[in-house]
Order: sequence, then C-alpha cells, then structure tokens
Amino acid sequence: MSPNDAGPGGNPRMRLDREKVRGAFGLRLVELSGQQVSACYQCGNCSSGCPLSQEMDILPSRIMRLAQLGQEDQVLRSGTIWICASCFQCTVRCPKGIDILAVMDALRQCAMEKGADHFGPDGIPGDLAARIPQPGLVGVCRKFST
Amino acid sequence: MEKVAYYPGCALKERSAHLDRSARDSALGLGFELREIDAWTCCGAVPPVSRERVMNLVAPTRILRSVRDSGADMLVTVCDFCYNTLKRTNHAVRTDEVIRRRVNAFLAEDRSLGDMGAAGADYSGEVRVLHLLEYVRDVVGFASIPARVVRPLDGIRLAAYYGCVMLRPAKEILLDDPENPTLIDDLLTATGASAVRFPYRTECCGSYLSVSNPEASARLCRRILASARENGADALVVSCPLCFYNLDSAQAAIREADPGFRPLPVLYFTQVLSLALGNGPESQGFERHATDPAPFLEKLPSAPGKEASR
Repeated sequence: MSPNDAGPGGNPRMRLDREKVRGAFGLRLVELSGQQVSACYQCGNCSSGCPLSQEMDILPSRIMRLAQLGQEDQVLRSGTIWICASCFQCTVRCPKGIDILAVMDALRQCAMEKGADHFGPDGIPGDLAARIPQPGLVGVCRKFST
Repeated sequence: MEKVAYYPGCALKERSAHLDRSARDSALGLGFELREIDAWTCCGAVPPVSRERVMNLVAPTRILRSVRDSGADMLVTVCDFCYNTLKRTNHAVRTDEVIRRRVNAFLAEDRSLGDMGAAGADYSGEVRVLHLLEYVRDVVGFASIPARVVRPLDGIRLAAYYGCVMLRPAKEILLDDPENPTLIDDLLTATGASAVRFPYRTECCGSYLSVSNPEASARLCRRILASARENGADALVVSCPLCFYNLDSAQAAIREADPGFRPLPVLYFTQVLSLALGNGPESQGFERHATDPAPFLEKLPSAPGKEASR
C-alpha cells in the first residue's frame, strides 16, 4: 500500500498500528496540554466555529482526530497550527470541555522542539514593528518561536 | 478620592497612549483614580504555550506579588492581553500547587530588582485582577454613570466588539457570557448611546496574525467591520489595543482592494466614556487613529456649560 493511494472520500490512506496510536507523541500532547485528547468525539463544533478555518489546510476537529491516532508527522507539518490565532472560540464551544487551544499550543511546542521555529523577530517588517501595539509583537514571538 | 492600583502595560505607555489617557480621565470622571503601580515589567502578553514553560509565568507573578506587598488587594488593567495574562497567571498560581511552588522558587532568587525584587512571602494568588470595565460595572456600578454624564450620546449608534481574550477562556476569566456578552453594550447604553448588536461581536480579529499573516487578519477584520456597518453602527467600540490596531489600520488596505468598502471609525470604550463625562475630543488622541473618526465626532453633541468650567 502506498501512502499516496486515495482512500474513501479522497483522503490519503493511513497505516495505523499500536506503536503509533499509543505512542509517545500522544502522551506528550496530554502532558503538555493537560487535556484528554481522546475525549474528542468528532462533533465538529471547533471547526465550524473557528474564524480561521477557511485559512487552514486541516480543520481543528481533524487535527484532533489525527492526534488521537498518533499521526505526528501529518499534524506537525500542517499549516493549521500556525494559523490558529489562539482566540479560544473552540475551547469555549467544545461540548466535551476540551481546551482545544491548549492542544494547539502543545502541538506548536512539539513542532518547535523538533527545531522549527515558525516565526521570529526577523520576520517582522520594520515599519510594522514600529507601529503595532506590543502585545502583537510579544504574542506572536511567544506563540511561534522558542 | 478612591485610589486603585493600575497596571497600564507596555502598549498603553506608548503606542496606545490614548487608551491610557482616556482610561485615567474616565476614572477621574467617575470618582476614582487609577494609580499606576510603582514598578512593573511586561506581563508577557500571552500565557505560556504549555505547563512546562513556567518561566513565562514569572514576570506576571512578580508583578502581582509586588502589588500584594504594596498592601493592595486588587489590580485594575485595561489592555485585554494584560488582563488575560495576569488573570490566568493568578488562577494558575492559586489553583495549581506544582506551578505555584515552581514559580515561587524562581521568584525567591530575585535580586537587585529595586522596587519589585525583595523576596517576600510566596505568592499564591491573593490579588484580585480586574478589567477596568469590570471595576466600573462591579465596584462603581453602571447605574451611577447616567447621573455623571454631561454629554449624553443620544442617537449615536455604537457597536461593541468584544474580541477574544477579554472574555475567554470563560472558565477562568468569569467576566461575562463568552457567547452573548453585554458588558460593553451596557456601558454604552449608560452613556446614552444606542448599542448595536451584530453577529461578529465575539469573533477574533486575527490577534497577533496581523504580524505573521496580515492578509488573514485583514480578511477577519473586514467581516467584522462590514457586519457592524450592515447593522447600522456609526462606530465600532473596542477595549483591546491589538483589536484597535488591527481593525483601525486594516481599513486602508481593505478599501484599496474594494472601493465599495465604507470605513467605520474604531473607538476605545474609554474614549466614549471620557467624552460622555465631559472631556473634549482634543484629549482623546484621535490623531493616532488611521481611520478618520470624523463621522462619529460629527454626531457628538457639545457639552453645555461643562466646557467653560474646565
């Protein structure tokens, strides 16, 4: 089976095995976020309420499902974790009480621990740096860099 | 006059100085003084991305500890990011013993930090953190505002925009209903203005994405502004410096891409309150606004008798 073969609905097929699903990645996510990622039952509330879902390659609810299945590479390669603006809409609306933003934050940290800061001070244009209120500058660096 | 410990935060000392000025003026108009705490640092803007990053909690905890050691039992702030960070840090230190012990272990090593550095007793969340809106609602009382208004904003239609971090996560912030807030609306109503409700009042403006992904933030801002306009607003009213910047400064580019877009003035709730309490438009820092507030100011009544006495 090639990983590029399309499965039902055109989604790429994935290989599930015990090592991945019950692996270190899932434990690390729970440890960092303090959230029971396995509690998500895929209602989709987070994806439908997210103001930035149109900008995402993988919707928040699917990120949650992929995380449950231990699909570390796919989740950490996703642009979604760097588009999330930490607005807590998903957290407020989750019927299972999962702080989904905390999971997004944990995924960002996991990605950055692999050596990939997403965005740092060097990426900020000088004229913007001189005008935008400081919470924007400090916030983006704290969220997207180590 | 009642003095309340006040944490302005970095933005209000410089780029959002008009929020600071109008907040202080409004407080005086309501009979209390925002007394800036003697020494403070940046709070860090956002809480840490994980429980492991305890270092990010040290600065806000140090601020809160110095407030407690000064004898105050509450701290008022206006910036939504500072409010969220200070309040959530306070919550973490109060409710999580592991975090409390780790943060205090760092703080015990503070040396030569002048006014903030004396390593006193462990901090365990004793100070109450309040948003200025919260202080005005819960301590001063919105009901006391109409009697102090000298420039009633009758007939002006203002749309309250709440954004994200002032109300959320609601389990820790406990300020208002995160899905159906009335806090700013109620304040606007107390000044005589008509509060306009619109669907995007709690939708995020993009926050720090205006730095890393400005196009995405501008798309969000456009939806918010257009929705407020469609519901008849004369101006949008915010409390957060970053919401203000995003919504105010994005409008030039939005209009360039779409000449049909009609600009909408963006105001701080403190500017509206300050004007209603009789302070003049010249003290509101409108020169810092990218989007011309003139359409709002044209509707503003003069304050009879009050100007002469000032």
